[in-house]
Amino acid sequence: MLNFFLQDPAVVSEQDVVTPFEQTLLLGLVFVIMFGLGAGLTPKDFLHALKRPKGLIVGWFTQYGLMPLLAFSLASIFLFQLPIEYAAPVAVGALLMGSVPGGTTSNLFTYFAKGNLALSVIMTINTTIWALLMTPLALFIFGGLMFSDNPEWQIPLTNIVVTIAVMLVPVILGMTIRRFSANAGAILELLGGFFGLFFIAFLMATWVPRNWGLLTSTPWQVYVVAIGLGLFGMAMSFGVARLFRIGGVDARTIALETGILNGPLAIAIVLLTFSGNPAIGLILIVPAMYSLFIVIISTLVTLRFRKSNLAEEQKIPNLL
Amino acid sequence: MTQPAWLAHYPSEVPHELPPTSFEILPDLIRAAVETYGKKVAFTQVLPNGMNGSLSYEQVDKYSDHFAVYLREQLGLEAGDRVAVQMPNCLSYPIVAFGIFKAGLVLVNTNPLYTQSEMVHQFSDSGAKALVVIDMFADRLPEVLSKTSIEHVVTVRISQFFPSAVAGVIRGTQKFWSKTLPKITVQHTPFMDALSVGAKSYSEAKLAGYVSGVTRSSVAALQYTGGTTGVSKGAMLSHGNLVLNTLQLISMCGDYMRPGKEIVVTALPLYHIFAFTINLLGFWHLGAKNLLVPSPRPPSNLKRVFENYKVTWVTGVNTLFNALLNERWFTDSPPKHLRASAAGGMALHESVSERWRKLTGTPIVEGYGLTESSPVLTFNPLGGGGRDGTIGIPVPSTLVKCVSEDGSEVAVGEPGELLAKGPQIMQGYWNRPEDSAHAVVDGWLKTGDIATVDADGFFTIVDRKKDMILVSGFNVYPNEVEEQIAALEGIQEVGVIGVPSDKTGERVLAFVVTGSNPPSEADVIAHCRESLAAYKIPSAVEFVSELPKSPIGKILRKDLRALWLAQQNNASPNQLKG
Repeated sequence: MLNFFLQDPAVVSEQDVVTPFEQTLLLGLVFVIMFGLGAGLTPKDFLHALKRPKGLIVGWFTQYGLMPLLAFSLASIFLFQLPIEYAAPVAVGALLMGSVPGGTTSNLFTYFAKGNLALSVIMTINTTIWALLMTPLALFIFGGLMFSDNPEWQIPLTNIVVTIAVMLVPVILGMTIRRFSANAGAILELLGGFFGLFFIAFLMATWVPRNWGLLTSTPWQVYVVAIGLGLFGMAMSFGVARLFRIGGVDARTIALETGILNGPLAIAIVLLTFSGNPAIGLILIVPAMYSLFIVIISTLVTLRFRKSNLAEEQKIPNLL
Repeated sequence: MTQPAWLAHYPSEVPHELPPTSFEILPDLIRAAVETYGKKVAFTQVLPNGMNGSLSYEQVDKYSDHFAVYLREQLGLEAGDRVAVQMPNCLSYPIVAFGIFKAGLVLVNTNPLYTQSEMVHQFSDSGAKALVVIDMFADRLPEVLSKTSIEHVVTVRISQFFPSAVAGVIRGTQKFWSKTLPKITVQHTPFMDALSVGAKSYSEAKLAGYVSGVTRSSVAALQYTGGTTGVSKGAMLSHGNLVLNTLQLISMCGDYMRPGKEIVVTALPLYHIFAFTINLLGFWHLGAKNLLVPSPRPPSNLKRVFENYKVTWVTGVNTLFNALLNERWFTDSPPKHLRASAAGGMALHESVSERWRKLTGTPIVEGYGLTESSPVLTFNPLGGGGRDGTIGIPVPSTLVKCVSEDGSEVAVGEPGELLAKGPQIMQGYWNRPEDSAHAVVDGWLKTGDIATVDADGFFTIVDRKKDMILVSGFNVYPNEVEEQIAALEGIQEVGVIGVPSDKTGERVLAFVVTGSNPPSEADVIAHCRESLAAYKIPSAVEFVSELPKSPIGKILRKDLRALWLAQQNNASPNQLKG
């Protein structure tokens, strides 16, 4: 069996990419935002979504049909121009990144973009539940295609299922709390969003300077994958949604929701699934860089979408 | 005199005349509810994200006692002094309003979104000595106060009386996130401090003393109304006006309002007479739980209200019902426990009432009234007897008639000015004896509205008298033209006014807001020709991006006229050139 990491002088350890402190913070972040997400939900929200499931179905399709395919294509085209011992683990990270469900930060951006928040939240929940099946399935299919020659790069799927299942616990917990106190629910929802943003800002502010060397030595092909996944993901899912004759506000919501993947979840899965694997540092590169750039991409896209959504909002005259 | 035709259409449980009541003044009505409902929740304020705070009947009673004592003892106000109140719907509002009544003072409701000059006018015209204001809007006071007689300022918070953790989060959000807490530079007392000062010198004897000279005819509130003349006047509403109108409207709703059981959404501002009398006084008297919504804009702000509470009543204006009917979350799961809804303030469109009834399976009826009538004059009977497009029949103990220019009653179906008489008619306009004498003659309030009455006594508003357009000696009612234009596809809103014309005296001018697929001017005029007489056809159609509207969403034709005049003045140099 090849062991490229010992042969490669430019080996990247996971401690460089994500320090133990950051790992703890990330797991906490995932927990807090999943908790806040649940706290903003009622059974009625599900009912509404199920009554008019078109947006949800299209969103599901863009999430698990489009994104893994996009990740696979980007990785196949760009990454494998690089030496295989570098490209393979990075590609695993890219595939994983493209196969995880929507992230809760998309709910925040949808909120700021004045999009359809209910649809965004429901999509996140929907794709997160489906992740139990679809994330392993997508990895099985595309991983199988990509690594048909390198079976040792097949991704351990059981661990992924367990990780995602654990992530759903705080959602249910949040929903339960909200059921009994609207006040507690609203506070948790708010704090979830606040800490979500705070953690992301904190992680970016500390991660970038510390990994400056890594960022400058990373080949441009990796940048294309990390940035393209979010950017093309949004553009393509918007196009698909419009193709299915979904209205402007909902189409923009689907675009944000699809393009903004659950970065922290992907990182958490890598950490929990590949711990001990010497290549873990390289696997983390795309999820980490994706998480970094998606904040910038989303901010720009949100500003653009906000303009369109505001123009379409229901105007009711000054009632106050 | 024969019995009015409408009495035959009262539901069986509604009395023809209001039975005598032991309530002389508002504090009597307020305390009666406290005795019956005590620890029950009276008000719950609900924010868009579901955060909420509540006050029981007892708490509102206790705090308003303390506030009354503060106003009289600490501020030294005397019976009949005016206190201006300027806040959106929040838990402090009922305490402040009831405290003012209990102190024998006069409430001056003020729109928090008023401009500085509007505030100056209302405060100085009323001669208010104290102001209770929401802290979010208190930054404009330095410029305003010096031009008024206000000596004392009390500030309330939007999060007042919320659980402390929730209040802290709201406060933090206001301060650091939305930055809606301006620095207040004038001297002011926080509301809670005022209450604790009041609590210290509280005694039952003092409270009894404050209202010893107050009777049914004593002024309880100055409710400012713009009218069409532009100068805002304070309608003097007495304790008797407000007490009796509250009982009138409740009796008209019969079994649809169950004492102690209703949960009502108060999305309209309480400083407006409609919500003030119906929601605040009416549902308080009924022992209802009142859900206070600080701002129903955008309509999604109401989502948590309908999600978290078993709403049984909604009061609102056409705009609000229409907005809710356009919200998916609302139409997907309409309120299950709803019993009935009441609309007022402006005409309820038949398309809206039909959709509302179909969606909720409950009645929605339109009522009518003016600030000058506290406000309810007529109401459609609930329970199937109502008629869409009409304003219904007069409430108990109320006489309504339509008269021609010479004062004689017009025939059935003929338009005439609507006049009303009853215990809810105001005492006159504050410090304006001449206007008062014109408005109320022999107890009959001249509403300035043109209406028709049918053989059964159901009234239908045709238009505002002042908005009537005289084209070559023919009367044109803007409402009729507006309805015709509004039915054209691509038209979102329309306002019709009359402007001077050399040829015809006045000519009809239409302002429209278009949506997708906008029709051309020729389309609009052709559409009008289909069903309107030639003299009613607009001479021109102006396309605008929005129409000026009142606080509750009525299209303001006087502002449209001003807009048009301004346009003419601006345009004249160009016209000269051309």
